[in-house]
Amino acid sequence: MQYDAIVVGSGISGGWAAKELTEKGLNVLLLERGRDIEHIKDYVNATKESWEFPHRGIMPTQQMLEDYPVLRRDYPLNETVLDLWVKDKECPYTETKPFSWFRGYHVGGRSLMWGRQSYRFNKWDFEANLKDGHGVDWPIRYEDLAPWYSHVEKFAGIQGSKEGLEVLPDGEFMPAMELNCVEKDVAEKIKKHYNGNRHLIIGRSANITVPHEGRTNCQYRNRCWRGCPFGGYFSTQSSTLPAAMKTGKLTLRPFSIVTQVLFDKDRKKASGVEILDATDNKTYQYKSKIVFLCASSFNSTWVLMNSATDIWSEGLGSSSGELGHNVMDHHFRCGASGTVEGYSDRYTYGRRPTGIYVPRFRNIYDDKRSYVRGFGYQGGAGRGRGVQVAEFTIGAELKEALSVPSDNWHMGVMGFGEMLPYHENKITLNKNVKDKWGLPVLDMDVEIKENEKKMREDMMNDAKEMLEATGVKNAHTYDYGYEVGMGIHEMGTARMGRDPKTSVLNGNNQVWDCQNVFVTDGACMTSASCVNPSLTYMAMTARAANFAVEELKKGNL
Amino acid sequence: MERRELLKTIALLTGTAVVGGEIFLTGCKNPVTSKSAFTPAMISLLDEIAETIIPTTDTPGAKAAKTGAFMQIMIEDCYTKKEQDAFIKGIEELEKKCNTENGITFTKLTPEKRLAFLQQLESEAKEYNETIKKKKEEDEKLKKDNPPPHYYSMMKQLTLWGFFSSETGMTESLRHVPVPGRFDGNAPYIKGEKAWAE
Repeated sequence: MQYDAIVVGSGISGGWAAKELTEKGLNVLLLERGRDIEHIKDYVNATKESWEFPHRGIMPTQQMLEDYPVLRRDYPLNETVLDLWVKDKECPYTETKPFSWFRGYHVGGRSLMWGRQSYRFNKWDFEANLKDGHGVDWPIRYEDLAPWYSHVEKFAGIQGSKEGLEVLPDGEFMPAMELNCVEKDVAEKIKKHYNGNRHLIIGRSANITVPHEGRTNCQYRNRCWRGCPFGGYFSTQSSTLPAAMKTGKLTLRPFSIVTQVLFDKDRKKASGVEILDATDNKTYQYKSKIVFLCASSFNSTWVLMNSATDIWSEGLGSSSGELGHNVMDHHFRCGASGTVEGYSDRYTYGRRPTGIYVPRFRNIYDDKRSYVRGFGYQGGAGRGRGVQVAEFTIGAELKEALSVPSDNWHMGVMGFGEMLPYHENKITLNKNVKDKWGLPVLDMDVEIKENEKKMREDMMNDAKEMLEATGVKNAHTYDYGYEVGMGIHEMGTARMGRDPKTSVLNGNNQVWDCQNVFVTDGACMTSASCVNPSLTYMAMTARAANFAVEELKKGNL
Repeated sequence: MERRELLKTIALLTGTAVVGGEIFLTGCKNPVTSKSAFTPAMISLLDEIAETIIPTTDTPGAKAAKTGAFMQIMIEDCYTKKEQDAFIKGIEELEKKCNTENGITFTKLTPEKRLAFLQQLESEAKEYNETIKKKKEEDEKLKKDNPPPHYYSMMKQLTLWGFFSSETGMTESLRHVPVPGRFDGNAPYIKGEKAWAE
């Protein structure tokens, strides 16, 4: 069967590729390795209450701990979303160094479980590698991506406030969600204390605040990760998939594990892909003019590593020696928190599905630290339940104390820091270990280094200082410990660049060695910034899709 | 993050890390274990203990929330064999202690005596947990061994957890709106009004 385009993977990037390419008139085959999940109908836990889960949705069972040796390392392991995360035992990988890889193998991928924080990279992010000499220079600049950020923001629906900050460019926002009274107070005090050079704003997120494209605005349930029956947040299912389906030009094929890109030696181009059908264990081939790899950073690279190995032993796109290298994530899980007095007559109504954001303030303008790059803070203020009871109190008094809000509010922030692209941080094919399909697995050899460790000190101390400066009481730092991958922002391994000798992709996301193959998910990232990356994948994908269709029209592909 | 906060609250109220919840705080590893044995009599005893900790007031208490049955599920599915054994043995110990001190079984005590008996266990558990904690700091092997806290602490943890995540706990003792529809970050609060369940 001949298609104009094949898109591998149906998550945030793949969904966008399918939408853009079909809307521009191409016949597209969208391949997904896992099962289908139908919008609303298959969100099995979306409207369940705590008491409807056997373990109340919070504590893992011993069986879960055994089945999910990776997922158990952090919060994603819980029974309210268990069906959406990959069962680790069935999809193994090996760890030369500890690496947490949290995956979603189903239609929609991690667009169903993502954190929805949506920020643009700034102009300095695209210049950082060139300026401080880490990694290679991005082949594009902020101006190249800005119109595409606008394009995807308008369709995805991003709520946020316009702030006019160079460090965090404004976008096409829906009306912003509201800071609560304590956050507003802290924001004011931060502004004053730091002379307008530090900002606390509402976390920009892909939750819609007004009806949009047939979707209902957010209902403030804060249960996004179970799938939203209102379509209140951006996912493949709520947004890009219906748009692509509407064109009548999309074929979605679940249970299709792409094993390689088929490379035509004579034309030096891809002719399509080979898949392993997970339902009958047979291989099939599909032909197309272009291929978009959007299988998630590491899996897109895995496909390349398994392709055209008769020409390049390390796989398609490996001629630079950079395929699989320069792995990045965002390091986090440290910061500070404390209590806020004086708001005992104030409370909240509704569960806001986003927190606050403090944009980067280190190593910009005149600030200079002993490390390069920077971090931002996510967090928020809230009023918990009362725990101020005398020792050994049980009975009616304890019940009463736990049934009302505590007198004080709490305020906490957590740093999200940029990780540098180090060549030696890499993933490789481990041919000695095979998954249940007999396919070689990935080996992870990634660590954070001195720059990140120094930054973490600031992430904690700056947080404490900032909270104390705003009158937060009992401010204390914390570090829950970070293992690479926990950010679930794995990036790099097929970076973009200006030179085919030092990068895998060019400035239009084309594989240098095979120009009708595009990689537009996190694999393409040349540096990581400190902001959440998904919005950038969306913009990058839409830009590359537009370029690909133009090139097809010109007969260049 | 919310889960971590809840675990912290319960840990604070029981003076020891939440059994089974520690995984999120330390990343420790436990082997999968076999099932433990609960009898209907044990479940009703646990219901009465839970009811003493969270009693019926103007709203239903822990017994109405079927906290005993909840404890069984959690202990069988989420506790390690060592923790299960400590809990089961704890039920026997509690009964024995009650018999020695009062001459009758816990469920035969008046509500006032039940309260007094458990308050005494509160301080015993505190002392026990503090001793264990101190010993763990001094003894690497014991630290690795990670002995469970006092059985009463486990009972109290599961009571608080079970009750406030139950339908009655969330909708009658607390307030719960499944679909709020809007957000107000500066709502008035009058002292005594119930807290939101989540």
